[in-house]
Amino acid sequence: MSRPGLTTACAAMLRRDLTLAWRRRGDIAMPVLYALIVTMLFPFALGPEDTLLERIAGGVVLVTILLAMLLALDTMFSSDIEDGSLEQLVLAPQPLALMLAMKILAHWLTTALPLIVISPLLAGMLHLPTSVMPVLMLALLLSTPMLSLLGAILVALTAGTRRSGMLLALMLLPLCVPVVIFAAGAVAASQQGLPWLAPIAWLGAALVLLLVLAPLACAAALRIALDA
Amino acid sequence: MSKWIPLWLHKLSSPPTFYRFAGALRPWLLALALLTGAIALYGGLVLAPADYQQGDAYRIIFIHVPSAWMSLFIYGVMGFAAFLALVWRIKLAEVVAMTSAPIGAAFTFITLVTGSLWGKPMWGTWWTWDARLTSELVLLFLYLGVIGLYHAFEDRRQGARAAAFLALIGIINVPIVHFSVNWWNTLHQGSTIRLLGPSTIAPGMLWPLLTMMLATKFYYLASLFGRVRTDLLDLESGKDWVRTIATGSTLQ
Repeated sequence: MSRPGLTTACAAMLRRDLTLAWRRRGDIAMPVLYALIVTMLFPFALGPEDTLLERIAGGVVLVTILLAMLLALDTMFSSDIEDGSLEQLVLAPQPLALMLAMKILAHWLTTALPLIVISPLLAGMLHLPTSVMPVLMLALLLSTPMLSLLGAILVALTAGTRRSGMLLALMLLPLCVPVVIFAAGAVAASQQGLPWLAPIAWLGAALVLLLVLAPLACAAALRIALDA
Repeated sequence: MSKWIPLWLHKLSSPPTFYRFAGALRPWLLALALLTGAIALYGGLVLAPADYQQGDAYRIIFIHVPSAWMSLFIYGVMGFAAFLALVWRIKLAEVVAMTSAPIGAAFTFITLVTGSLWGKPMWGTWWTWDARLTSELVLLFLYLGVIGLYHAFEDRRQGARAAAFLALIGIINVPIVHFSVNWWNTLHQGSTIRLLGPSTIAPGMLWPLLTMMLATKFYYLASLFGRVRTDLLDLESGKDWVRTIATGSTLQ
């Protein structure tokens, strides 16, 4: 029996997850709609003054996208647990960490990428200056994969439990504090005309570290949660 | 001597042995905690001189500072026990990690409440987004996450191992949060409010503080031993040694 190489296995995994997501396109639109509606609520709650909205725009967009991703996290492994394919993945000869990394990548592509694409629209609704937009998108491009990676570890830990929605928020949000601080720091610095490269560099460094460690931690967490 | 200690530790990690060991020590620890706590309170509230600037309001530090130390110390103990539980699958380490979490959360909560009670007359506000306050709040959420995950599982041991894993992630996260929150605060405001520097404290204030630190340690051990005993009985129900205790035999 010849078993497929790692590249083939990774490509197959990615293709499978993307196909599954594409078959249920409506679910992809949900986080985007959620982010739009939450952003729309802020001017109602705080008043429509341009100066106030401009000042809070960066932070509001970041937090809104974080919450939208949190809502979508639950679905990362849930259908695979229900039909048992996740257990097959654990038993497969390919390294589990790599396979999970592919699943996380697919999940990031289907939930975070649409959010990043509409982030200029969200920021524009709150009058964020156009010159700050590239920094905001760069900060999102670096911070959303971290949220997906951190979230994947926690989703894997809760894989064996029934109710996990609020619990996931309770576990994930404290871990996100540094990510939010640095991403919002970059946006705020750019808005004030200060150098913004330092927080972006920190985000990049943390992302590289997490890219290596998080899939391994996710695999370990999944083994703990599935072994009854 | 060097052979005895590992052997003794190995024996101690068996549930019935630890049950008896903890049961024998617990009253003494509780008595010590009450005694040192009373001495520290008398020293702190009566003997220690009033602060020349803050008057009597500063006396809350005799509760606040030892609680803050304990909130971090217990997280360290929990992380260490979690590591032992995950690597060697020692049942006792799982129980110690999971029973430490509520005690640590309680100390963190006490730290936050006393801090904000002190902050109202001193800073003029119940809460400020100072770096230390914010890290302490994040620490409370980390504790609550561990407790929540532990109780989300049907199977106690599986829940303990998952929550132990979360505790380990948290222990990496605590310094990162502290560093990033410091960075965030200095970015936004030039002059931050600093807590009292303990290095310049008067000796009359220092000894009650250190005595209270001892009292909280004793209390933690006493409370931990009590909780571990109950949890061991629960986990091992059906085993012979539990049955002998339940039927009222001499095995204490």
